[in-house]
Amino acid sequence: MELWRYARQRLFQIGIIFFVILTILFILFRIAPGDPVSRMIGPEMTTEDAAHLISQLGLDRPLWVQYVYYVKNFFSGNFGHSFHYGRPVIEVIGDRLPNTMLLFTTSVMISALMGVFLGKIAAWRKGEKTDTVMTLLALVTHTVFLPWMALILIWIFGYRLGWFPINGMISEEVWLNPTSGFFAKSVDVAHHMILPLLTLSLIYFGSYLLIMRSAMLETLKEDYILTARAKGLTEKVIRNKHASPNAALPVVTSVGLSLAFSINGGALTETVFSWPGIGRELVFSVSNNDYPLAQAAFLLISAVVLVSNLVVDILYAYLDPRIRY
Amino acid sequence: MPSRKKKILEERSRRWRRMERWAQGWAIYKKNFLGRIGLVLLSIFVLMALASFIPPLVDPMYKPMSGVDPEITASTGPSFRHWLGTDFMGRDLFSQLLAGARVAFTVGIASAFVSIVLGTLIGMTAGYMGGWTDTLLMRTADIIMVMPTLLVVLILAALFGQLNIWSIVLIIALFRWPGVSRVIRAQTLTLKERPFIDAARVAGASHLRILFRHIMPNVLPLSFLYMTFRVTAAINIEAALAFLGFGDPGTVSWGMMLQWVWKTGYMFKAPYWLLPPGICISLITLSFYLLGRAMDEVLDPRLRKEGERY
Repeated sequence: MELWRYARQRLFQIGIIFFVILTILFILFRIAPGDPVSRMIGPEMTTEDAAHLISQLGLDRPLWVQYVYYVKNFFSGNFGHSFHYGRPVIEVIGDRLPNTMLLFTTSVMISALMGVFLGKIAAWRKGEKTDTVMTLLALVTHTVFLPWMALILIWIFGYRLGWFPINGMISEEVWLNPTSGFFAKSVDVAHHMILPLLTLSLIYFGSYLLIMRSAMLETLKEDYILTARAKGLTEKVIRNKHASPNAALPVVTSVGLSLAFSINGGALTETVFSWPGIGRELVFSVSNNDYPLAQAAFLLISAVVLVSNLVVDILYAYLDPRIRY
Repeated sequence: MPSRKKKILEERSRRWRRMERWAQGWAIYKKNFLGRIGLVLLSIFVLMALASFIPPLVDPMYKPMSGVDPEITASTGPSFRHWLGTDFMGRDLFSQLLAGARVAFTVGIASAFVSIVLGTLIGMTAGYMGGWTDTLLMRTADIIMVMPTLLVVLILAALFGQLNIWSIVLIIALFRWPGVSRVIRAQTLTLKERPFIDAARVAGASHLRILFRHIMPNVLPLSFLYMTFRVTAAINIEAALAFLGFGDPGTVSWGMMLQWVWKTGYMFKAPYWLLPPGICISLITLSFYLLGRAMDEVLDPRLRKEGERY
């Protein structure tokens, strides 16, 4: 039950943080130069539609009433109309969110697991060639400029070798074909996902590897490792059962701290690969001055970061009982 | 002994001690192979930034932004006239690359400096004052920390129109202090309990004097270390922003060069254009990163013993 109380407490804190972000965005949209009404009402809307939307969003009311409407609308999912798509923002976002979540969660998990696994080996073989190569590789891939890495991978694997599609998430011939079943469609998505996933994992596994490596070296100095050795346990058992679970804890923390950072990378990757996600939608809406969509995309992304943070915190508390007291 | 002479001697010995400390630090730094590589790479980039003033002097067509080779109308490969080739308008890529180094240093160092100053001041205040001040400052830090900086800059670009390079620098700095302030706060908390702070307080030092005279010198090395990591963050965010097409249109940064090669459809045709800017961004990031890691080893004695104990 300790864990439950901790989770509730974190949920409360995260709720407050989200509310602050919501408020900051409201203020920004009002203090920016230009007319706030024209920012939410598209130029191509009919007068009646516009009037309806204005009253729905409370744009004709005093500022504090607008704020109440804004918060209420947020929780009822009413973000206004997208200028570019000409349909409710919530629908556009609803289409994109699963795609982003798919890419984001898979890439975070793959890079964290890769980092833990390789970091463990590097620490175990400290000073040997394996360690040097892995540490160097981690340092180099970690510092490569992400969009450039994406372009290079597209150039090599998409263009030169032709192994993977260079953009998008699905191929029309598979999805429009009535005979292709769920399996064929999944394979198609996976095929499109490999390059974006490779980009993100290559960029992010390095920092996890370095953290895991130093945490593992730190753990190996602990007394209980000496005890395990004295008991005559095999090296493999000591490494995998005694040392690495404890050493992996800092990696979990670091995953939580770098979530905002990975979201930046996710938006860049989505844009380069034309992956239909929220990050790319945000970049697009900013170039198109599609304010309602930009606002909603930003809020949704912040919410994703916060919820993932919560998940990481709970996972951490579950793995390390010391944190709860 | 007359007191003036004593003072001079004291000053001299203090200076001597300081030099000795630098020498010791350098001796440790020197042993770090990767740190040496970082320094070499960094010096190359400094030379590039300095050399960026030369090509426009040789011929106006080598101006990175406005200089156009009149004989060229499309991107061409490397030649004697254009060492790295030209872009789609016939502008010289080599001089753009050199100018990019200057922009990277300006953006990276200016924005890292501002965020480090903010982070150090806020962290010190939070740690030293405690109580409500601490809670307020640290909760603010938490909120800023979960916001993805790149996307924040994008939203601001949407609302306030085209951002120039200095507003980009400032925004990055304003969103990148929380990490530093957390570390500085933790350091201040341990310093606060040390006897010399009590001694200063008993001697009648004010809060400001204790903060700036006694605590700050002890946290500054740490701030300096974090500055190297902030430089890389700032360079990367500016490059990403330029790459997405929201950079300052008046500057030639490496991100901008990548955006041009990507958007003009030369990506698959012109490796001489695609490769250099990306390599430069990655290597300058790597060099600051290696510098930071090596400095970490100088500042944190625990890291040094790593090899001896296991």
